[in-house]
Amino acid sequence: MTILTQIVWLGGLFLEGVILVRAIQGKSFSKYSLFYVYIASVLVTSASLWVIYVYIAKPSLNIAVYWPTQYITLALGCGVIFEISRHVFAHRVTLDRLARWSMLAMFGLIFLLAAVHALLLPNWNVASDTADLERDLRVAQALVLMTIIFLTGYYRIEIGKNIRGMILGFGVYVGASVLSLTARLFIGPRFGTAWQIIQSSAYFAALAIWAFALWSYEPEPPSRPPSDPSGGYQTLADQTHQVLDSINDHLNRPAPR
Amino acid sequence: MIQLAFSLVVGFALLIILYFFARGGKVSAEGSAQQLREARQTLDSLQFGLLPDDLVHRIFATDDLQYVRRAAPPQVQSLFLSERKDISLAWVRRIRGAIVDLMRFHRGHARLYAQLSLLMELLLALNFARLLMVCRFLEIALYLRGPYAAPGMVRTVAAAAGRVCTISEKSLVFLKTSQIDRLKNDPSHHGASV
Repeated sequence: MTILTQIVWLGGLFLEGVILVRAIQGKSFSKYSLFYVYIASVLVTSASLWVIYVYIAKPSLNIAVYWPTQYITLALGCGVIFEISRHVFAHRVTLDRLARWSMLAMFGLIFLLAAVHALLLPNWNVASDTADLERDLRVAQALVLMTIIFLTGYYRIEIGKNIRGMILGFGVYVGASVLSLTARLFIGPRFGTAWQIIQSSAYFAALAIWAFALWSYEPEPPSRPPSDPSGGYQTLADQTHQVLDSINDHLNRPAPR
Repeated sequence: MIQLAFSLVVGFALLIILYFFARGGKVSAEGSAQQLREARQTLDSLQFGLLPDDLVHRIFATDDLQYVRRAAPPQVQSLFLSERKDISLAWVRRIRGAIVDLMRFHRGHARLYAQLSLLMELLLALNFARLLMVCRFLEIALYLRGPYAAPGMVRTVAAAAGRVCTISEKSLVFLKTSQIDRLKNDPSHHGASV
């Protein structure tokens, strides 16, 4: 393990601790419970792996602990996306429902396939198959994140500082993971060291963004109809209808021959 | 190989989208009100200034072309064709602008509602995208070949735009239920499409 990786590892542990302490101090743990549970699980896993690596110094034990815990953190990582979607679409019932069911179906299917492989395939390997699962999940998470960002832009949905930071941090990590896991799959073990550095640096960057964005709790902007001083919404809707009629008439007139 | 390409595209696309997401300003409620006011002004101008009767028919009618070809020297014919081309291009750009305004208006309103019809929204988005693309193709065709070379495309864009407007109307019906009830009971509104 390189010095850089060790520094990033310890720095990551520190930032995870800071994020959790600030969440407890600012009483925001319950507001973003899925996100903080994920951070807590990564903190516990990383700290355990650090202890095993430094004090027990048994690589085989490290590997034995790493891959099973990876399943748990991967599953809890999906919770972060649920957390983001829940807050972004808090006032949009239809979009929230669509996002929730799509994510459940997509993530559920990926985990189900991984479980089927683990149970049925005779040459199933915990390391390579967990890496495959992680890549598939990261691609799915990337697609969901892009959809969420697209919908917030399309409907100009207001997002608070906390959730904006959560999206940005998780997006950076997921994007870097997708690229590095794909490169590792095709380049092979030669890419192992680079992959480790990219993964841990991207996660460190994500933690730094989260620490900054979630330093204090800021509630999501309320969804309210805009104040329209010149006649109210009903008038506007009536006018819209008249204009649509006009456009319709204009475009549906006899076409030129 | 396809898996590699797909994963790489997804990874890079996410990072690019995040870059723009991070750069994007905060959408405020005041901004939304401003947007709606602008949309309202645009729609007012559409209603009263942008839709003169028989415009499309007049721009693309071949009577004028036949007359100029019969009666005018080549320089005048050339000038006539050039000006008709400019007018037809201005028409397409105006239609395109109206569609963009309509799209902006629809999104500006739809975002305020908790219950949306996903099918309707998807249909609208696809139709808006298709129509804008057709407008762009029409613009290129008119630019390259003039207004008398693409009558079929003009008919297509006009029909497609009409469909979008009908769908928009249906999607906006939920905004004005009371108005619908009033129209249904009012004999002076026979034939109004709501």
